Amino acid sequence: MSGLDEFVDDLVADADAVFLFSSSRTRYEELAADGEVVVIGPENDVDADAFVELPLQFQDLADRVRFGIEGAIENGYVDEEAEVVCVARVFDGDADTVTRVRADEFDQSGVYDLFVDSRAEPSVIRDVFEVAVELGKKGQKGKPVGALFVVGDAGKVMNKSRPLSYNPFEKSHVHVGDPIVNVMLKEFSRLDGAFVISDAGKIVSAYRYLEPSAEGVDIPRGLGARHMAAGAISRDTNAIAIVLSESDGLVRAFKAGELILELDPEEY
Amino acid sequence: MQLDWATIIRRIFSEETAFWLSILILVLGAVFSYLSWRWVRRLLTDAEVPETVEGTPFERTAQGFGTSTVGVVATLVAVFVYAAAIILALSVAELMRSDLFWARFTSFLPKLFVAALAAICGLIVGDKAQLYVSERLRSIKLPEAEVIPELVKYSVFYIAALIALGQLGVAIDALLVLLGVYALGAVLLSLLAFWDLLRAGAAGIYILLNQPYGIGDRIRIGDSEGIVQEMGMFTTHIEDDGEEYIVPNQKVFRAGVVRIRE
Repeated sequence: MSGLDEFVDDLVADADAVFLFSSSRTRYEELAADGEVVVIGPENDVDADAFVELPLQFQDLADRVRFGIEGAIENGYVDEEAEVVCVARVFDGDADTVTRVRADEFDQSGVYDLFVDSRAEPSVIRDVFEVAVELGKKGQKGKPVGALFVVGDAGKVMNKSRPLSYNPFEKSHVHVGDPIVNVMLKEFSRLDGAFVISDAGKIVSAYRYLEPSAEGVDIPRGLGARHMAAGAISRDTNAIAIVLSESDGLVRAFKAGELILELDPEEY
Repeated sequence: MQLDWATIIRRIFSEETAFWLSILILVLGAVFSYLSWRWVRRLLTDAEVPETVEGTPFERTAQGFGTSTVGVVATLVAVFVYAAAIILALSVAELMRSDLFWARFTSFLPKLFVAALAAICGLIVGDKAQLYVSERLRSIKLPEAEVIPELVKYSVFYIAALIALGQLGVAIDALLVLLGVYALGAVLLSLLAFWDLLRAGAAGIYILLNQPYGIGDRIRIGDSEGIVQEMGMFTTHIEDDGEEYIVPNQKVFRAGVVRIRE
């Protein structure tokens, strides 16, 4: 097996940093003794100094690596020309995969920026994603539904929209993380309009008709009015918009008028 | 009371029966103590005590001796039951003469038991409380904050020790005074420190319940005017042209709110 050994040695030779996607303390300590290690995961349970929080469990390794690299560059753990070796887990169990990647191989998609540098708190954005993915998976009584969530900058969004009907969340104090929300949103998604969610995750309103100026919003062709409204509101305010498409069932996120992230709910 | 028992038995039966009766009590006591050992073990295991105390220093010490917290408590109960049986047997057989000593010892035994239990509970609860508080404070990366869990732990230890010593009849008045002073100091200090937060919270409850203004409304509080972005228990965020004012809720009450309608 000397050929294989050589290949693996070549693969990991002179890497600038190691990205560890699976958290096991012994492995982290072993690797940290050799050089720079960036831990990327949902929780920093090894108390690593360099840590990037992974808000969603991306199924695709490439998405995970992309998020990790963007986060590490943003935090200054690695520079943009760094050669990075990623140790990750693709199948069940412990880390089983080693890949090597140049940090500038990905063009900056802004996924990390979407979660961390938006007005709303990262955990709120994550919760909204989870709700949208859940809704996309199950639909409303088995039929696909669409939904539009506008997260953050709620005051401005409210002033750039008008109610379509009475607001079921009036004088309520429901937050996106609450367990009851899944059921509630599923029911309300039957009706048209957007959900408005504040920076701290409070659901401010449902049934909002968004009236942003759509000038200069460039979204991919073939997407409908809901996506157009999402792109426009995210451009006109500091909010981000998360859309569940009724026709193709994908979850898309817009920030500053641009499509940042596209997820297939079936993969989660 | 127990001596009366002995005389009654002696009057009804013979001297010999009393002797055999005390042997019987000894045997029954052994059976009962075994049963209570098993019963306590099962009860504690069902109540998921082993999972709860896992990892606390007391549990680790107990495991060092080849047992566990549940084992220690169960053994304690068994020993207590058996000791009670022995005393009962001795008094029935009238084997002990120095009545006063035994009477005092008998009344002392339950107290000893409670004291031991209080000590064990105090040790475990103290460690658990420390763990819980430090877990809650983990997101605050502040070296000074590490004092708080320790303080919580030793407070619980102190109270447990007071209960145990009180059971044993040791004079603890001075320690009690110390506890009172400590508690009063803690309450006073936190009242002083959290006074503004308390007032903001009280105002916040009213605002959240009645919602005199909502997210998206344009309001003015004192000199700050803007669109409401967030309403919380303690603060209201209003934003105007990229300037976000975070206004404590008591100020909302004191200064009043102006709702601005076009």
